[in-house]
Amino acid sequence: MSDEHEHYEAVVVGAGPGGAAAAAALANYGVETLVLERGVDAGSKNVSGGLIYAEESAPYTIDDLFPDFREEASERPVTEYYLHNVAGDKVKTVDITDLHEHDTEWSDSVLRRRMDSWLAERVHEMTRETGGGLLTDVRVNGLLREGGEIVGVTCDEVDPIRADLVVAADGVNSELARDAGLMDWEDPEEWFQGVKAVVDMPPEVVADRFDVGEDEGVAHLFSGDLFEDVRGGGFLYTNEDSVSIGTVFHLNSLVAERAEPHELLDALLTHPLLAQWLGDDYEEREYSAKLVPDSKKVALKEPHEGRLVVVGDAAGQMQAQGPIIKGMNHAVSAGALAAEAFAEAKSRDDPSSAGRRYAKKLRSEGVMKKLRPPQYRAVSALGERDAVTNVVDGVLTSGVGRTAIKALSGQLDRLFGSPFLTSMVPDTRTSYVTLPTIIAEELGTPVREESTVEPPTLADRIGDLTYDTDIGNPHIRLVDNSVDASGAAVSACPVSAQDFGGGCYREETVTSNGDEERVVSLDTQPCVECGTCAVVADTEWEHPRGGKGVEFREG
Amino acid sequence: MGDPLDPSDYTVDELREELETVETADELESVLEAERTSKNRKTALEAIRNRLDDLGVPEAEAIEEDTDTEGEYLEAGGEPPFDPAEFDIAELGPKLKDVEDIDALRALLDAEESGENRDSVVTLVESRIDKLSESEVEGEVDPTELSVAELGNAVQNVDEVETLEAILDAEESGENRETAKNLIQSRIESVSGGEREEAEAAVPPEEKHPDLDHPTADKRHVRALEDGTYGDMWVYCETQAGALIDVSREMLGKARELIDGYNDDYDADERVVAVLVGDDVEKHAEECIACGADVVVYHEDDRLDRFQHKAYTEIFCDMARWGGDPGEGNPGEADWRDYDEPRYVVFPATNNGRDLSAQVQAELDSGLASDCSGLFIEDAVISNPVKTGQPGTNKTFERVLHMKRPDFSGFEYSTILCLDNPNREFHPQGASVIPGSFELPDPDPDLEGEVVEHDVALDDDWFRVEVTEFDQLEAGVDLTGHDVIVAMGRGIGADPTRGMELAVDLADCFEDAEIGVTRGIVTGSYNFEGHVEQYTQEERQIGETGQVVEPDLYVAAGISGAVQHKVGMDESDTIVAINTDPEARIRDFSDYFIEGDLFEVLPRLIDAIETGELDLGAVTDGGRDASETTASDEGDTHE
Repeated sequence: MSDEHEHYEAVVVGAGPGGAAAAAALANYGVETLVLERGVDAGSKNVSGGLIYAEESAPYTIDDLFPDFREEASERPVTEYYLHNVAGDKVKTVDITDLHEHDTEWSDSVLRRRMDSWLAERVHEMTRETGGGLLTDVRVNGLLREGGEIVGVTCDEVDPIRADLVVAADGVNSELARDAGLMDWEDPEEWFQGVKAVVDMPPEVVADRFDVGEDEGVAHLFSGDLFEDVRGGGFLYTNEDSVSIGTVFHLNSLVAERAEPHELLDALLTHPLLAQWLGDDYEEREYSAKLVPDSKKVALKEPHEGRLVVVGDAAGQMQAQGPIIKGMNHAVSAGALAAEAFAEAKSRDDPSSAGRRYAKKLRSEGVMKKLRPPQYRAVSALGERDAVTNVVDGVLTSGVGRTAIKALSGQLDRLFGSPFLTSMVPDTRTSYVTLPTIIAEELGTPVREESTVEPPTLADRIGDLTYDTDIGNPHIRLVDNSVDASGAAVSACPVSAQDFGGGCYREETVTSNGDEERVVSLDTQPCVECGTCAVVADTEWEHPRGGKGVEFREG
Repeated sequence: MGDPLDPSDYTVDELREELETVETADELESVLEAERTSKNRKTALEAIRNRLDDLGVPEAEAIEEDTDTEGEYLEAGGEPPFDPAEFDIAELGPKLKDVEDIDALRALLDAEESGENRDSVVTLVESRIDKLSESEVEGEVDPTELSVAELGNAVQNVDEVETLEAILDAEESGENRETAKNLIQSRIESVSGGEREEAEAAVPPEEKHPDLDHPTADKRHVRALEDGTYGDMWVYCETQAGALIDVSREMLGKARELIDGYNDDYDADERVVAVLVGDDVEKHAEECIACGADVVVYHEDDRLDRFQHKAYTEIFCDMARWGGDPGEGNPGEADWRDYDEPRYVVFPATNNGRDLSAQVQAELDSGLASDCSGLFIEDAVISNPVKTGQPGTNKTFERVLHMKRPDFSGFEYSTILCLDNPNREFHPQGASVIPGSFELPDPDPDLEGEVVEHDVALDDDWFRVEVTEFDQLEAGVDLTGHDVIVAMGRGIGADPTRGMELAVDLADCFEDAEIGVTRGIVTGSYNFEGHVEQYTQEERQIGETGQVVEPDLYVAAGISGAVQHKVGMDESDTIVAINTDPEARIRDFSDYFIEGDLFEVLPRLIDAIETGELDLGAVTDGGRDASETTASDEGDTHE
C-alpha cells in the first residue's frame, strides 16, 4: 500500500445520471465514495435530447435512488407520443403512445443542467455521509496505474487519487474508457450526432399550443425527406417553460452527405408542420450538440478492466432503435448495478471481482439484451448492406410497394406500436428516409401552415453560448490538417460550416512558394465538446481542464 | 396442454411455478394478456415476461453462478415475514433492517433462493444474518468481517481498552485498513481519555518538553502580552514597480466596509490603517485614504526599493508594536494610537505578500489564514476545550475575524478563526487575501485621514541579501491605451503577408497606433513571411479571449464581426470597417463602413493620409452619427 496518494474506496468520474446513480448506490452500501465532475456545476457539460425513462423491467429507476426526482428535477411527463412521416409538405402522423408506454413506468422530459445539478446536490449529501463527497471543476485525465494495474485516477487539478473501484461515468467521449483500451474513436458508423435547440415558451403558451395540462407533455418525432438523404430524424419535447427541438443523425451519413447539422436542425425548425407550435415569437435559449453511441454496435459486453467499471454513454449504453431513444435510464441501471457488484465483491472479500460481477448483472438484469437486441443482429446482417437497401428501396418506391403501403393504411399504428418490430429495423436509408417518405406521399395530408420561424445564425448561436476559454491551452490538436484527413469536420462539426470563419473548423487556402493548397484550420474556442471531430478528423482530442470550455445553462 | 392457464387463479408465487410448465410463447402471450385484463399485477407481469424471455431468444452466454455456502440455512423453517419477490433490492435494504429475528431472515433467504434468487438480494440477506449472529456473541468483534462503517458502530459498544486493543491487533494482522485502525484508536483514546483529561497546569512548552529544541523560546516578550489591548484593522498596501497594486485597493475597500460594520456592532471607534513600506511610497498615502484608510503609516528608505523579507518584516512588526507593551527593544510611545498591537491585519496573497504575512505573523506570535477570499467579523461560540479552558463548556469569543478560504479547488470553503487560548493570546488576527476577491472601491477624494511617518534605524544586517540583478517579465504586447488600432481579420486570406504589410503601413501613418488581429488570424493556417509574422501572434488578439481595447479610432479590415471579436472593441470611439460583404455583421456596430476589398481600400487610405488629403480630425472626432453614413456614400469619400 502506498501512502503517497489520497485513497478512497470508490472514485466516480462524472456526475451525470450514471455517475450519480453509482455514487448514490455506493453511498447506500456505506462505501466511501468521491465523485469528480469536470464542469463548473454538474450538468454544465451535459446535453440530452431530453426524455428519461423509468422502465418497468429495469433493476433500478432514477426515482428509486432519488425519491423526489420527478418533482424536483424533471420537466413534464410524456403523456402523448406521435411520429410524423414527412414528404414535402405532406405529413402522415402515427400515434405511437402505445409503443412509448410499453415497459414504461413513467417518462419525463428533462433539461440536463437542472437535472444533473439537482442530482449532484443529493449525491454530495449522500457521499459525505460515508466519508466522500462531490468535487466540481476537476477533470480526470487518465488512469493511475501501478505495475500495469489500474489503481486510481490522475487529474489536471489535484494529485492522483487511489481507489479500489473506479467508475468511469465520463460520458460519450470517455477518456478513461479509451485509456483502458475499451473504446476508440475510429468509426463514424458507430455514432449518432444530435443537435438541439431549447426554445423559450411560457407554460401557458405550451399548454395552449400543445393542448396539454400542467402535468402533461407531448413528444413528437419526425422522419422522412426533411433532411434530404441524411439518415436520422427529429424530435420535439415539451418542457415546463420551453420546448426541446433537435435532430439526430448517423454520423457516417452526415459525413457522406457533407451535411451541416445546424442547417438540418433549421430545416426542421422552419418546416410548416412545426408552425402550429412555434409562433413568430421564436426565441432560442440555447444551441447544443452531442455525440450518441449506437449501443447495437458499441455497447461494451464486458465494460470493465481491473478496478475500472464503465457505465452509461462511456460504455456505449445508449439504446437508439427505431424511434425510441433510451440512454439515461440504462446509465442509471448500470451505475447502480456497478455499485451493487462492488458491494457484493467487497462483502465476499474479493474486490477484484466487481467488474466481472457488474457485467454479469447487466446480462442477468436484461440491460444488455436491450442494448444489443439479438433480433437486430439477425436482421442487420442482411439489412444494412447497400445492395439490399437499394433493392428494398426500389420495391418500396415502385407501384407495387406503394400499393402495399396504401394497403397498410390503418395498420400503421399497430406496426409502429410493436416493440419487437422496431427493435428489428435496420439502420438504413429505407427505415429513416424511404419508408417514411412513401408513407407520407401515399397516405399523408398536406400541411397548410406557413412557418415564420427565423432560427439564429450559427454565429449568433455560438455567441449566445457561455465559454470559459482556457487561453493558450487548446484541448484539441489537429494532427493532420489536410482536407483529406480532417476536412469532414468542417461540415460535420456542429459549430463549424463551409464558408463560415467563426467556428472551430474551416478550410483555408495557403500559398507557399507559389503553390496553393487547401488546408483545415482549427480554433477550439467555440467548441461544444461533442467529440464529432475526434471521430471524423485526425485529432488529438481531450476534454478541457476542469471548469474550462463551454458551459451549458439548459443542457 | 389442457385448459389455458388463468393467472387470476394464482398468487404470484404460485403463478411463477405454474409458468414453468408452459412451454410455448403463444400461450404465455395469452396468459400475459389475461393478467393484463384481470389483476394486472406488476410482479405477475414481470414473472410472465421473465418466462417469455427464457423461452425467447436464447442468451448466448450462460450466466455462471457463484457457488456459495448457502446450504447451511436451507433447513431453516418458519414463515418469512414478507415475500422478498415483491420488492426490488433498493426497497429490501431498509425493510431488512427492521427484521431482528435470524430465523425469519433465514426463511426470507429461503424464499428468495427458491423464488427469484437474485444474487444481490441473497447477499443482502446473508449479510444481515451475519451481522445479527455476530452481535449475539457478546463483545466479540471480528474486524475482518466488518466494513469500516460497521466496525465504527461495533466498537462504540466496547468500553474495555484491552478488548479494543485486541481488535486493533486483529485488524492489523488482518486487512490492516488505515481508516479502520483510526476508528479503533480514537475509541481507545476516548475510552481511556476520561482519566487523562484532568486539567493540567499551564506549563510552558520549554519545561514540559525539555528534550526538544525550542526555536521560538525567545518570543517571550510576545507571549507576555497578557490581557493585551488591540485595535484597528491594518492593511499592508503592496506596491510594485512604484505603483500601488489593485489588491491593495481592494483590501482597503473591504477593510473600510468591515470596520464601519464593526464600529456599529460594537459601538467602537476603530480605524483602517494602511501600511506602506518602500522607497518613495508616501505619494500613495492620498490614494490609500481615498480608498478607505483612516491612517496611513509609511516607512521610506531607498534601500527598501525592492521587497526584502527580513527588512520589511522588521519594519512591519516594529510598526505593529509601536507604542504598545514596552518590551525589550520595542518602540516607544506613539501619539496616534493607544493599543498594544493591531486587532486585525490583512496582506495581499501575492508572492511578496505571502512571504511577508507568514514572517510577520510568526514574529508577532499569532496565526495566519492564507489565501482567503472572504472576510467578515462576528462573535463565535466555541466549545473546544483548548480554547475555552474548560471541557464541556461554551465560550463566546467577540469580534472574531472570520476568514474564508477555498479548499480543494474551491469546492469547499473553510472558515478560519484565530482565537486566544486561556493562557496565550493570538493577535493580530491575520489573513492574506487572494487578489480579485473583493471589489475595487471607488476612490473618494473627499475622505480625510492622518498620515504618520514611521522611523526606526534600519539595521544593515537586514539587508544582507543583496539584489544584484532583476528582470521584469515581458508583459507581451499591450494594445490598450493607444490612439489608433489597426485590426486585421481573415479578409487578408488572398495574400496574408501583403495584408499585414498594409496594416503596418497604415499604423505608421499615426503617431500612436498598434496592430491587432482577430482570433481567426491567430488560429489560421496562413504562412506569413518573417517580417510580419510577429504581428499575427496570440498576444495581439483582440476580443473575448484576447485584449479589450477602446482607442479613439479602430480600423477593422477584413473582419466579419463575430460577437467574440465585438466585445473586444465596440467601446472604441470611432470604428471604421472595411469589408467586401455589405451584410457583414461588423456593419451593425461600425461608425463608417467601406464596402470594398482591403487590398484596394487600404493603399488608397494610406495614400490619402500621407498626402494629407484625408482630414483625420474629421474621422477621429467621432462626431458623425453612424445612421447618417451609408456604405456607398462613405465608400465614395475614399474612391
